[in-house]
Amino acid sequence: MTTAQVRKLKNGIALTVCTIAAFLGLFWLIFILWDVLVHGIGGLHLSLFMNDPAPPGIEGGGLRNAFVGHLIITFFATLIGVPIGILGGTFLAEYARGRKIARVISVLSDIMVSVPSIVIGTFIYAVIVKPVGHFSGWAGAVALAIIMIPVVLRTTEDMLSLVPWTLREAAFALGAPYYKVIIHVVYRAAAAGILTGILLSIARVVGETAPLLFTSFNNSFFSANMNEPVSSLTVSIFQYAMGPYSTWHSQAWAASLMITLFILVLAVLGRLLLAWRYGKRPTI
Amino acid sequence: MTIRLKKNPVDIIFSSITAIASVSVLLLILGILYVLILESYPSIEKFGFLRFITSTDWNPVKGSFGAATNLFGTAITTVLSILIAVPVAIGIAIFVTEIAPNFLKGPIGAAIELLAAIPSIIYGMWGLFTLAPIMANYIEPALQKSIGSLPLVGVLFEGTPMGIDLLTASVILSIMIIPFTASISRDAFNLTPAVIKESAYALGATKREVVKDIVIPYSKVGVFGGVVLSLGRALGETMAVAFVLGNNHQITKSLFDAAATITVTLANEFTEADTDIYLSSLFYLALLLFVMSFIILALAKFFILKTEKGIKQ
Repeated sequence: MTTAQVRKLKNGIALTVCTIAAFLGLFWLIFILWDVLVHGIGGLHLSLFMNDPAPPGIEGGGLRNAFVGHLIITFFATLIGVPIGILGGTFLAEYARGRKIARVISVLSDIMVSVPSIVIGTFIYAVIVKPVGHFSGWAGAVALAIIMIPVVLRTTEDMLSLVPWTLREAAFALGAPYYKVIIHVVYRAAAAGILTGILLSIARVVGETAPLLFTSFNNSFFSANMNEPVSSLTVSIFQYAMGPYSTWHSQAWAASLMITLFILVLAVLGRLLLAWRYGKRPTI
Repeated sequence: MTIRLKKNPVDIIFSSITAIASVSVLLLILGILYVLILESYPSIEKFGFLRFITSTDWNPVKGSFGAATNLFGTAITTVLSILIAVPVAIGIAIFVTEIAPNFLKGPIGAAIELLAAIPSIIYGMWGLFTLAPIMANYIEPALQKSIGSLPLVGVLFEGTPMGIDLLTASVILSIMIIPFTASISRDAFNLTPAVIKESAYALGATKREVVKDIVIPYSKVGVFGGVVLSLGRALGETMAVAFVLGNNHQITKSLFDAAATITVTLANEFTEADTDIYLSSLFYLALLLFVMSFIILALAKFFILKTEKGIKQ
């Protein structure tokens, strides 16, 4: 073979290997989603959403308590985490723009995004659950909020930095104080981006299990009281999947399907929003 | 671009509020570190550092604890999953940046990133119900028959293939971290200046030569950062491995044995800890995990920033 042929052959082999790798990645995605879909649909009944858990062996049990509990915990986590994240991101992109403190906090937030979520669970156990004396929905919501803060903070910072500086100068020239410029000009210009950050942060925490295990714990009964243990879908999935009953397994699959669908919708929505507004991908 | 405006009183209040909100991240990190040290203090005092990390004893009844079995499980699953994931992830990144036709680049990239959005508990459950039986019935017996009969490495594949073991946990972890590594490698590859690639193509280089001699030398630090970031993620992953690892506090020879990682031990035993020293030892494990992953993630960030800076200059 001539050198040119050898190079072509090597090229062909290398490209084939890379293509196979890419399709292997896609294969896992489709395999997992398909499996969750097939098993999950089998467990989807109206009773899953309408009834509370029944003892094993009795027909018609559901996960109403977990669906409601999960919604409440996520709602309060969003209520705590999002404002702190947005305000923090505002400081980095506006008041502290270009200063060292902004760089440091930005890098620390990036690290916080990937810190093991179970460690946050143990932290909240020590500072909230132990002093209060029992597990509570609030502890779970705070744990999730802590995971949300760095995600929202970093996307807000990125999105505010994309707003052209001249837009602010135009507002300054009219005599507006900085806080008015931020609220009326910068936030409006970056609204779609900030919303994406919020969507992605919700998508991030809605599937979290580890930080809820020792904070909101679990509750076999319907409870919307945040001062008591509150059941969540993810912790119920963990408990049901590890349990011995096949009705539990099919309920766990159905709950997994609902969570996966919810997260994929949020993730796709966030992506579309970014692509539509900025023509770019999210960084987190 | 620093702003020196005449301060309006509302501005001072608003800027202070935002400053407090952003410093909360710093306070949280310090707070977590402080609380974990405080809570694990009884255990630190009783077992010390070196003794704790080298002791394989995990005996709640006798109140004697050591982290070696957990560290062993964490290290094996993390390293093994990285070994499986990195070649695939880099292949994906090369496919998406250099090989795929333009209309496929976006959709395939997005689809692989969606893998990262699937929560870890779904991976864990899928691993328990779907992957573990496949591993136990097909893949592990096949491995045993082929590599298992070789000297030296054969010992890694001894025992009855049950599917609930180190190997299955590592495979699930690797599927989980492929998207992270792939997406950071892709970003690093994309930073290669197009002019240089085009010059190489103009000289008649093949795609493989362009990737090998231009793209990878340009982006290797960034790709390395991506690998380290995935390492940090794999280290702290809980639910994906909790289902398929068993909770076996032993250092085992074979990859077909159940084991325990730091995260799995925490998830399974935290709410059951009935003595103070037991709970304190679990906090000690959490502290070790926090410090390790923080250092690894900081390193990853350092490498990624270095590539971005290097190419901008």
